[in-house]
Amino acid sequence: MSGVSLKPRAPFEARVDMAGITPAVTCSLTLRELEPLAVPYGARSVPLAELFFIESAPEGVLLIEIGDARLDGVGAGMTQGELIVDGTVGAWAGRGMTGGMLRIGGDAGDFLGAELSGGRIELGGSAGAWVGTASSGSRRGMSGGTIVIAGSAGAQAAARQRGGLIVIAGDAGERLATDMIAGTVSVGGAIGPLMGRGMRRGTIFASAVPDALPAGFIDTGAHELVAVSLMARRVPELSAMLKGWTLTRRIVGDTLMGGQGEVLVSA
Amino acid sequence: MIINGVEIRDTFAEAFPMVGTRLIVTADTPEWALTAGRTTTGFATSVIGCGCEAGIERTLAPEETPDGRPGVSLLIFAMDFKSLKSVVPLRLGQCVLTCPTTACYAGVEGGKRVPLAKTIRYFADGHQISKKIGDKRFWRLPVMEGEFVCDEDTGSVEGVGGGNFLILAHTRGAALKAAEAAVAAMTKVEGVILPFPGGIVRSGSKVGSKYKGLFASTNDAYCPTLRGTVPSQLPAEVGSVMEIVIDGFSFEAVAEATRVGIAAVCALGVEGGVVAIDAGNYGGNLGPFHFKLREIMAGDGAANGAGAGT
Repeated sequence: MSGVSLKPRAPFEARVDMAGITPAVTCSLTLRELEPLAVPYGARSVPLAELFFIESAPEGVLLIEIGDARLDGVGAGMTQGELIVDGTVGAWAGRGMTGGMLRIGGDAGDFLGAELSGGRIELGGSAGAWVGTASSGSRRGMSGGTIVIAGSAGAQAAARQRGGLIVIAGDAGERLATDMIAGTVSVGGAIGPLMGRGMRRGTIFASAVPDALPAGFIDTGAHELVAVSLMARRVPELSAMLKGWTLTRRIVGDTLMGGQGEVLVSA
Repeated sequence: MIINGVEIRDTFAEAFPMVGTRLIVTADTPEWALTAGRTTTGFATSVIGCGCEAGIERTLAPEETPDGRPGVSLLIFAMDFKSLKSVVPLRLGQCVLTCPTTACYAGVEGGKRVPLAKTIRYFADGHQISKKIGDKRFWRLPVMEGEFVCDEDTGSVEGVGGGNFLILAHTRGAALKAAEAAVAAMTKVEGVILPFPGGIVRSGSKVGSKYKGLFASTNDAYCPTLRGTVPSQLPAEVGSVMEIVIDGFSFEAVAEATRVGIAAVCALGVEGGVVAIDAGNYGGNLGPFHFKLREIMAGDGAANGAGAGT
């Protein structure tokens, strides 16, 4: 299984849909076999080689050497291997991933990790809206896997999330975890208004109590939660945030929807 | 074979297949973890009367447990998987769930799944919530003292039950002291438990009884007070016999426990009042695992697995 490097020939003049250009595909074909692969480009479809210089890379890796905000669907449908982007990507990165590792050095557009069910996304910059959410018409968002964002996330992150872990080191925009069904999201920075509306289950780890909790949330006070200790030890992405938590303030909601989700904050 | 003046009789311990599992129980303090462990494994000495055999395998330091608190590992054995699936949730619900500050985790990853919170979670009456971490699902049950955290299920292994050896000594005091030394050494072996009180059995049994309906009765051949009235296995100088029974996750683990136990007894030697080491068997008709004492003490006993002949 060889590796492949893609280097844009020129700045893109239209959006490029990279869905389907995954390590499983690129690493199973020769460089010459990759050249004619059809890639949606604006309103038309062009061969991969028309957009990128295609060269060898370390085994098992697909490397996009220069990122671009017009590159949509990077890593979408990944099942295995490693895809590395040196820079920024557009919308729908990692959509529907079931396995493998997607590393993005810069920012990502909207819908990062939408409907992710496995694998891992690491984002060096910030993400747009709808991280880990569902596609239009789908009831469930991300159901497994991990998304780690070094920067901030836009509005509606974790909306309809069904499982898995989203770690946002920076701020989260408004309406975090709207209609969240299950799963875990942690926010190291500030959380925008209207968090957790319609949330049924799931856990939000927050660095501070959000300013504007919807009406359906009830503060149950501070507790010694073994589950927090368990997650601090078993989930490396959370260990730094949860280290030293002895008392945890637990806010349950959205009770207006019969929900049993929770917002956990160090007390 | 004579070791330090102690005769190792040319016989074997006969053991049978059992199905077992391991639970990791943690608590805020080592004392409460031990309390939970002792309660959970209480009245679990013999499947004959208790439905399972259980014991504390060892204590666990905080860094060894899933939630970073002190804990104990418990082994529970039953005669078949159906029995194990029945008895584990019962003991979990009665003895771990109820014990202050505890949490309970799977101690075996592979094998058929034994339900833990999978059934116990309904105690929370709809307030139970789960958290999936990696591939494992944990349940959180609100309880009056706080929250009980428990793995959804645990794995199981096909183990060995009924490994044993007998300590023949001059006096009751000498037999007890030797048995205590054996227990102290054997509890350091991973993957085994000694399910009887303090690890020691004074009422070793034979199969069957003169009374209808009894499966087992006193091992009269090893009762000193019956010497001469029944076909006895005890020479005149033996005044007391104690038995160590061993259940383990593998033949090798039971063999190793047997070896270190007998070695500890022999270290006391004839000067400690020990006369001989014997073992309980039924002529090879009870079970397929035969622990030949002399081979084990010669250091190659562990090489003989299931089906080893007499």
